[in-house]
Amino acid sequence: MFKNILIPISSEFYSINVLLRGVFLSKKFKSTINLLYIIEEKRFNHTDKLVDTYRTTMEKEETKKEIINTHKQVADTIIFDDAKKIFKEKDVKLEGKIVNGEFSDVIKQELILKNYDLILMGFEKESSLKYRLLEDVDVPVWIVGEGESKKILAVCTNLAPNKKVPIVSMKLAEKLDWDLHMLYVADIEDSVQVDEKGNRSERKTERELLNVGQKFLENFRDKKIKTRLVKGTLEKETIKKAQEINAQLVIVGREQKKKGVLGLPVKNLKKKLAEKCKYSLLFLN
Amino acid sequence: MKRNKEDQKRILSNKNIFFLLLAFAIIIIFYFMPTPEGLTFEGKLMLGMLIMAAILWVTEPIPLPATGLLIMIMQPILGILPAKDVFSSFGNQAIFFLIGAFIIAAAIEKHGLHRRIALRFLRFFEKSPRTFTFGIISSCAFLSFVMPEHGVAALFLPIIVSILVAMKIVPRQSNFGKISMLSVAYGCSIGSLGTLIGGARNPLTIGVLSDIGINVSFFDWMIYAIPVVLISLPLIWLVLQFVFPIEIKDISLAKNEIKKQVKLQGKINIKELTVLGILIITVALWIIFSSSIFFGLGVIAILGSILLFVTGCVKWEDIEKRVPWGIILLYGGAITLGEGIISTDAGNWLSNQLFYLVGNNIYLVVLGLIVFTILLTNIMSNIGAVAILLPIGFAIATGIEGISPLLASMLIALSGGLAFMLVIATPGNAITYSSGYFSTKDLLKSGVLANIICIGVMFTVAVVYWVGILNL
Repeated sequence: MFKNILIPISSEFYSINVLLRGVFLSKKFKSTINLLYIIEEKRFNHTDKLVDTYRTTMEKEETKKEIINTHKQVADTIIFDDAKKIFKEKDVKLEGKIVNGEFSDVIKQELILKNYDLILMGFEKESSLKYRLLEDVDVPVWIVGEGESKKILAVCTNLAPNKKVPIVSMKLAEKLDWDLHMLYVADIEDSVQVDEKGNRSERKTERELLNVGQKFLENFRDKKIKTRLVKGTLEKETIKKAQEINAQLVIVGREQKKKGVLGLPVKNLKKKLAEKCKYSLLFLN
Repeated sequence: MKRNKEDQKRILSNKNIFFLLLAFAIIIIFYFMPTPEGLTFEGKLMLGMLIMAAILWVTEPIPLPATGLLIMIMQPILGILPAKDVFSSFGNQAIFFLIGAFIIAAAIEKHGLHRRIALRFLRFFEKSPRTFTFGIISSCAFLSFVMPEHGVAALFLPIIVSILVAMKIVPRQSNFGKISMLSVAYGCSIGSLGTLIGGARNPLTIGVLSDIGINVSFFDWMIYAIPVVLISLPLIWLVLQFVFPIEIKDISLAKNEIKKQVKLQGKINIKELTVLGILIITVALWIIFSSSIFFGLGVIAILGSILLFVTGCVKWEDIEKRVPWGIILLYGGAITLGEGIISTDAGNWLSNQLFYLVGNNIYLVVLGLIVFTILLTNIMSNIGAVAILLPIGFAIATGIEGISPLLASMLIALSGGLAFMLVIATPGNAITYSSGYFSTKDLLKSGVLANIICIGVMFTVAVVYWVGILNL
């Protein structure tokens, strides 16, 4: 399922938990791990601009080199060292490299160069990363968060095709031997129905949305999956349910939410979910 | 190709066009609006120029020095001052002091003397993690007495990161890492207040003061400013200890790393010794002979620079590579702005208006100047903030009894260096932030507290020492 895992680590943020989760998954799925350390270009470009008047071109070049060197030192001595120890202990194959660039761009470039089945990464709200990749890439993205339980929350909604989420979550639950909870959220802020091809319908009534959800969940009741149908907003209901069951992993599909509170446009809902949800998230685009 | 695209992007930036248009719109509005009573037409235009400069220096649609040049040419164009008077600002000896100081700093950087001094200094503070962080903040402050603060920050960045990496300190996750890097940023800022060399805003201040007949020597400046440094430094260090309690106890890995770096430096060579000797002589001459009855600051600075050329310690290409000429141009614009405000009597008019606003409570005025300068310097370049506020400070000094131009200038110049809260506030913050060891939130958290403490220190020093003892 996850044969090739890419672990991108930005110079903006590092958590050893991502490596530990990488080891766990690689043991379960016999995966190879590719560690990619990304030195954020915008960091030194920003510094360059701020010191523009005060330092000469040569001095700025020197400082830029120093910044890159410092991040390389951090990558080599701390991150790759941690990774080598952790992965060697568990006998997992590891490859790694250091690249300069913008987080999302570098990852997208890496996905062109090699076939990956999963991107496993951390998330830092206070960093300057835009996390555009959450919306842009087709490969599943697993954001490592907190949670000790063995429970998966699969989230389906009127705003997503709901094709991949049930399949992947059932496979994962079986492979990892974790409990699966299925939540269907009838999002009343953006009350359209998204079909299997991802097309949005005209506006639907609450009753119509709930009926579709009801029918959808009936398919899983005889499969020993705990199901729940709720109405509300996708992000709030997801977080509420994740807290209620203390989920280890929350799986969200390719949602098409366009409107939020008072019909205002919604931008990068996945990023918002990652900011607010403390549990691990798996986005299936 | 990529570069061309970036340049094109820069030219077409809507934001930049908007701020440029806004700045020019201010001048047009001021040109056509009725002149208030008591203000001359030229004075009204100078106030417009002040606002225009503030907009351009805060939003930076064009480089800071370009705004300096724009201020200069706008005055003859608008008929405020003749071109001859405007360009004569470059004859101010503070300009030559700045050039000389940059040449000396270039020699220090070229031969790595600053690195040697920094490492030697750090070796005195290897007892515990706490003393080590005090070593960082005081070393940075000390070095900022003799070279520009941003140069010191750039020097300490690789030194401190090497030590932190050797100690396996993970960026952002360790309070020790945060304090170490913030000590560099804050140490440089505080140290830059101490002498005329640390920050370009200091020579700017004495340059503007000399235009109204107040001469401040190198030693005078130190007498006024060093107490602020000596009181602030330990307090800011305590703030950092309080905000980010250190979680480690062992400093042995740091010791080994410093030892390794000292060893890598090897023995001091003849060129380094020569630069050190010239630096000591120049500073001694500045302290003893920089008052107006002797040679003045500029002569000594240039003498030191010439000695560096004569001894072969620097070549002209080193100067081309390492002297930021942009600051000199920025300085020129800033000084003419002050001169224009004073010579058109806009300052007097402004002082009357401010008098109605703040009254004549000297304590309130002192506090207001400190707080306003600190707020402004946190959102724009230090030198720009000081350039804008100096004419206002002079205006206040003319209108409010108990506030002299020297007192107002010192309050503005020193408060202008206390930019602790934002990454954009000063190059030192930006350089250390690039290490990744602290977040913008960390900087804000410690910066707010550090700035509040410094407001208290500045106020106390101003009232008790400057006014009470020195009768400034």
